[in-house]
Amino acid sequence: MRVLAPIVVVLALVLSACGGSAPSSDGSVAVALQFPPRAGYAFDADDGALLTKLGVAEPLVALDRQGNPVPGLATAWVQEGASWRFTLREGVTFHDGAPLDANAVVTALSYVLGRPAPPRAITDIGLQVAAEGPTTVRATTTTPDPVLPLRLSSGTTSILSPAAYATGQQPSPVDTATGPLRMTEIRGTEGATLERNDGYWGERAASARVDVRYVTDPQTRELALRSGDVGFTEGLPETSRAGLAADPAVTLHEFPSARTILLQLNQSAPPFADLRVRQALTAALDRNVLANQVLGGSALPAADLFGPAVPYGATQAPPAADVAGAQALLAQAGFGPANPLRVRLWTFPNRPELPVLAQAIASQLQAAGVVTEITVGQYDAQEPEVLAGRYDMFLNSRSYLSDYPDAASTLSSDYTCGGSYAIDQYCSPAFDALVAQLGTVTDPAARAELYRQAAGQLTADAVGVPIVHPRNTAAEQGVTGFVPDPLDLRPVLPVLAPAG
Amino acid sequence: MTGLVLRRLALIPLVLLVASAVVFCLPRLLGGNVTRSVIRARSLASAPDPAAEARLAAELGLDRPLRDQYLAWLSGAVRGDLGRSFTTRAAVGPEVVEAAGVSATLAVLGLAVALAVAVPTGVLAADRPGGVGDRAVDRVGAMALAVPEFVVGPVLVLLVAVWAGWLPAIGWGSPAQAVLPVVTLAFFPAALAARLVRAETRVALAHPSTTTAVAKGLSRRRVLAVHVLPRSLTAVLAEAGPFLAGTLGGAVVVEVVFGIPGLGSLLADAIGSRDLPTVQAGLVVVIAVALVLTLATEVAGRALNPRLR
Repeated sequence: MRVLAPIVVVLALVLSACGGSAPSSDGSVAVALQFPPRAGYAFDADDGALLTKLGVAEPLVALDRQGNPVPGLATAWVQEGASWRFTLREGVTFHDGAPLDANAVVTALSYVLGRPAPPRAITDIGLQVAAEGPTTVRATTTTPDPVLPLRLSSGTTSILSPAAYATGQQPSPVDTATGPLRMTEIRGTEGATLERNDGYWGERAASARVDVRYVTDPQTRELALRSGDVGFTEGLPETSRAGLAADPAVTLHEFPSARTILLQLNQSAPPFADLRVRQALTAALDRNVLANQVLGGSALPAADLFGPAVPYGATQAPPAADVAGAQALLAQAGFGPANPLRVRLWTFPNRPELPVLAQAIASQLQAAGVVTEITVGQYDAQEPEVLAGRYDMFLNSRSYLSDYPDAASTLSSDYTCGGSYAIDQYCSPAFDALVAQLGTVTDPAARAELYRQAAGQLTADAVGVPIVHPRNTAAEQGVTGFVPDPLDLRPVLPVLAPAG
Repeated sequence: MTGLVLRRLALIPLVLLVASAVVFCLPRLLGGNVTRSVIRARSLASAPDPAAEARLAAELGLDRPLRDQYLAWLSGAVRGDLGRSFTTRAAVGPEVVEAAGVSATLAVLGLAVALAVAVPTGVLAADRPGGVGDRAVDRVGAMALAVPEFVVGPVLVLLVAVWAGWLPAIGWGSPAQAVLPVVTLAFFPAALAARLVRAETRVALAHPSTTTAVAKGLSRRRVLAVHVLPRSLTAVLAEAGPFLAGTLGGAVVVEVVFGIPGLGSLLADAIGSRDLPTVQAGLVVVIAVALVLTLATEVAGRALNPRLR
């Protein structure tokens, strides 16, 4: 014991000396983000959006908090038939010192357009870009595109220095972008180091240095925050929300996401070809219970396809379950105690909340006399079956905005006749006509109204049941400045600063 | 002995060849659209895009017959080129080697710590039945065997990193960051090895040669060190291969808990995104390491135990 005591003391001192803490006096912060780069920061993957979130790379068009296009690397844009003319911001330099000009923009956009699978934001519109002078770029599409500026707000269309594309390899964002933070080091999928770009054209970053760590396990992210390893994290475990909210040292942010968990119903075959059966299922489900009790408040009950993350989303709670009403509708459709409705419910475990919700949904449906057989399988195997209409019910999680804040592509692919992701097999000429109007409307207010009408028609036709809108979480400890972004499209890290 | 080593060494390339064919072909024969999975791994695209899939399949060589794909991969592999990742387009060889190095470091350190604790504890436990060491091997050992790494890790982080603030909770690269993962990983093999050492030490203590040594008047410490410990270690060494394999398995969990960029997390990500070149390279490396470990264990066992020769 006499030998042990000094060893313990020395060990404690050594360990204390080598422990780390996130915010330091030199104006640096450490953050733990939940999604690592998927493809080595490739712009033709979702990593372009990640680079925008980091505050490293910038597209031509920025977004305000409502998701409206505002000047970014381009200061103005005007539509001329099937093309848009973008005027570039003058005096912008890349992190390597090269100036931003029209040729650099054309090089960058031509690169992503030439990839085998170009980013969703600019695919299938026949986009071509050309320089029209040193600070003017013309972007032409096959048909007039009312939302091209919004498409070019996607991080996947960010512009890097021409030097990044000259290597013949995948362009690297290290010291080649334009954002308020410049990437100085990439540590694979483990992390990256960012430093303030003192020559930034806009508001300078709040911290001189940001140490980014990618931590995929939510519990580990929480422990990293609590231990002081990092000062900011996101995507916290559902079970930790109450504890974090009660901790005075931690600032917890909860905000809606532009995602809906949907119970999709196959309308190409019985029993869901019958509107009454679809309405019965909608009535049988208590979405408030599913959100608040089954998911413990980590999601909001969904009354509509679009939730409170977007200005045109529903904010009211869905109605409570009406089991008697559901049974009456089922009886009209020929189902009852002697002939119960038997259906299969498929889902997948990649999102852990889905199997849990599937069990709860089956339980609620049972109260209305519906017998549900649940299968939890691999999405890859299920997808061809559900797209071919060989299923009954499919519990799916779907982001209704993809890369840029406009839902037209989701409505078109998921709900128009012959849409490429029309899992519900829904086909309504009236709905298609409504969606077709989005191809000519530029005004955001008018588009929002069309989105409300579209969501209303989907609800009226009981095209699946929107179950919940998952909520995002983020937390700061010793760091301030975080601004929740329900659209998850705006820069996050440049505004973070050490507290005090 | 030399003959045995040469025979085993000659077998390793053959086993690797068969394993590589299985590892290459199996994921491709399981069904599903690999190209589509790769696109989904790179972006959250849900809507299928057959034209993009066809272009990507051509770029990745997935539109060629399976035999041609395998032969092209094998031809590169024998030249040290394990291909490029479907998702990152980076060469997978260096990526896998770097990640394997992290996992191996973690596993070897974990095993070293485990043995450093287990061997003296096991010997003491056997030497003094019913004593503190013996009771610790029983009780603490039972607990350590029952509690998995994904529980031990967060508990240690809570105690040492969150409450005491002595060590970082996550990351890899500094000695301080290695302490908690290594200790977490050492828990299970330490408990297992301590029980094994205790059992083998009891057998060694009862051996006639030990009795003779005691009768000659050698000190207890010398009897244990010279006559008992080598016999106990032979048993532990014989199990070193499985021990290390098990520790590597535990390292996968520890890598996730502590955010360590090792082979386990690399393979888990690659399997999820159908990044077949990374999966192939990673599994071939794992199989090669297992083969070499098995050979090394066999050779060491025979060297230490004349009865096995």
